[in-house]
Amino acid sequence: MIVSAKTNALGFAPAHDVAVPYLERSREYYLAMGYPKPYEWAHQAEVAFTPLEKPLNRTSITVITTAAPITPGKGEQGANAAMNPAAAFEKVYSAPSKDAPVLGISHLHYDRGHTDAADNGAFMPLAALQAAAAAGRIGALSPRFHGVPTRYSHRQTLRRDGPELLARLREDGAEAAILIAI
Amino acid sequence: MSLIANYLEANGIPTVVMGCAKDIVEYTGAPRFLYCDFPLGCPAGRPGDTASQQAALELALRLLESAPAPRTTVQLPERWHDDPDWKLDFFNVPNMSEAEFEQARKEELAWRKPPPKTV
Repeated sequence: MIVSAKTNALGFAPAHDVAVPYLERSREYYLAMGYPKPYEWAHQAEVAFTPLEKPLNRTSITVITTAAPITPGKGEQGANAAMNPAAAFEKVYSAPSKDAPVLGISHLHYDRGHTDAADNGAFMPLAALQAAAAAGRIGALSPRFHGVPTRYSHRQTLRRDGPELLARLREDGAEAAILIAI
Repeated sequence: MSLIANYLEANGIPTVVMGCAKDIVEYTGAPRFLYCDFPLGCPAGRPGDTASQQAALELALRLLESAPAPRTTVQLPERWHDDPDWKLDFFNVPNMSEAEFEQARKEELAWRKPPPKTV
C-alpha cells in the first residue's frame, strides 16, 4: 500500500482536511483588521422547506447569484482581478440566461490564492443547466437569471431583495431556484 | 444566500444553495445545500472542467427532487487536491506574512466604509 505524506498508515486524512472553518477565520481576520467586533452572520433557528411540486423534467429552474456582469469602466473585473469594490452592485438585477453576459466576482472575497474566476462555469451553472434542459433532465432553464447584492445588510436582504426576487421569479414562471453562494 | 433561500421557500419556491463555505451556509440555515469542498469561488464545480460542473449540478438537482427535510446537505465527492494544505491559506491570519496582511488591510479599507479603527 502506498501511503502519501498526507495520510497515516491506515490511509486516514490529516486533521485539517475538513471543511474550512470560515466562521472562525473571518471572525479572527476582521478583528485583526481593526474592526471593534466580529461580523454577525445571520443565524436561523427554523428553516423553511417547500417540496418540489412536479417532476424536475417539467420544472422551470432559475439561478440567483452574487456575481456581477463585467461592465466597462469599472476597472479590472475578470480573471485574477484584485478586490474591486467598484464592481459591486446595489440592487437586484436580471439578465438573459441564454447568451448571458460574462460575469465577474472581483467585488467578492473568494480564494484568490487558489482559483482565478476565469471560468464562469465554476460559479455559474448556466451552461450545465442548458445541457440538462437539452437532455430533458429539467423542464426548462428560466429565461432570466438574477443577481442579488451582498452588502451585508440582513434587513435589506429580507425586506427588499427577497420580495423583489420573488416577484421576478413569478413573472418568469420560475418554479425552483439554484442559489450560488460564491 | 440562505436568507434568500428561506424567503423563497416560505413563499412556495423550492431552492438549493450551491456553496463552498459549509459552516457559514449551515449556520445561516439552508433548506437544501450542495457543499462543494473547493476554494471559495468554485461553488459550481472545478474551473475548466465541464464534467465536474455537470456532476455538481446533477447533485444539486437531485437535492431539489429528493431532500426529505430542511437543512439537507450533500457533499460533492470530488476533491480539489490530494494535498489538503490549500485549506490552511484563506483568511488565516497566523499564516499571513506581514506584507500579505498589509495588502489585505489596504483592500479592506477600500471596501468598507467607514474604515475600521486602527488598533
